[in-house]
Amino acid sequence: MITGQITAAILGVGLTASILYLVRRDHLHGPYALWWFAVAAATFVLGVFPAVVPWLGSLTGIFYAPVLPIIVGLSLVLIRLLKLDIDRSRQERRLRRLTQKLAILEQELDRLGGRSVASPQGRGDDDED
Amino acid sequence: MIPARDEIATVAAVVAGVRASLGCHVLVVDDASSDGTAAAARAAGAMALELPLGLGAWGATQAGIRYARRHGYAGVITLDADGQHQPDSLGELFKAQAASRANVIIGTCTERLSRAKRIAWHYLRLLTGLRLADFTSGLRLYDARAVAILAGPAASLLDYQDVGVLMLLAKRGIAIRETPVPMSPRRAGHSRVFASWPVVARYLLHTTILCVAQIDAGRRQGKHSAKERHA
Repeated sequence: MITGQITAAILGVGLTASILYLVRRDHLHGPYALWWFAVAAATFVLGVFPAVVPWLGSLTGIFYAPVLPIIVGLSLVLIRLLKLDIDRSRQERRLRRLTQKLAILEQELDRLGGRSVASPQGRGDDDED
Repeated sequence: MIPARDEIATVAAVVAGVRASLGCHVLVVDDASSDGTAAAARAAGAMALELPLGLGAWGATQAGIRYARRHGYAGVITLDADGQHQPDSLGELFKAQAASRANVIIGTCTERLSRAKRIAWHYLRLLTGLRLADFTSGLRLYDARAVAILAGPAASLLDYQDVGVLMLLAKRGIAIRETPVPMSPRRAGHSRVFASWPVVARYLLHTTILCVAQIDAGRRQGKHSAKERHA
């Protein structure tokens, strides 16, 4: 066996194992887990069975087969990054709206509190310092 | 409605001026100030929203607009907390609205524009197709229809109240007009957009991308006003 292949196999198995571990420990969840699980599986297959690469090359008509995983990998990274920024924008929108809503509700609560301050059962000002 | 960040020096006078001039409810939106702007505003007789996180000028303005929508106000006037907008001139906005029946009236002071701003606005006029003299003026009157649009999530990711907001309104068929008003020089604070050259460059770059993505909006507004003129 060639040493390069051993390195690739170790990398593949190592990455697969760490991703599985992270999913197992609930550090990656939902759609992210699925995505990274697919990445782990692909790395594992490519690392352990490097013969897949020239086979895929001949299948897709790419002469210099070793470049294939690099191209595919880079495009996947780009897609992932794009998705990340889309998610971030959505979260930013939600965060801003929540912040505004919080301020609005706080003001309304203050106003109500001012009116019903005589209420004997009032429990609304527990967190007043 | 007055968005304010660290404007304790001027906010009370502005609130008092608006109350004396219009007698309406005054809402100060405190954009996470550290100097007690909200307390000063309340002391001057305004209601105050205190944002727990700084959202920037537009984020604060939108908070006020959402408050107005929630409480069923017929319209919102926004002005800056630094005292550059004179409370006595607010009536001009109503007059302009009555005359033009536009949904949004922007109070502008063209004499006060710096050369850099003139160049920037000329560029934005070309890019957006909106025929406005001043894109960033914070002195505005929004009617209930404009408020309903601006309170929505579509306006939440905008950073400035200018081009993005105006394009959004134009796209939904809102009529926007300007009216000249006198303005005083800023007593304290400074423009958030025109602070320094790198900021301006970044602002123009952002705005350009926004405009290119929404290239049809301003032109549509042009068509709307053309139709109005024919009618």
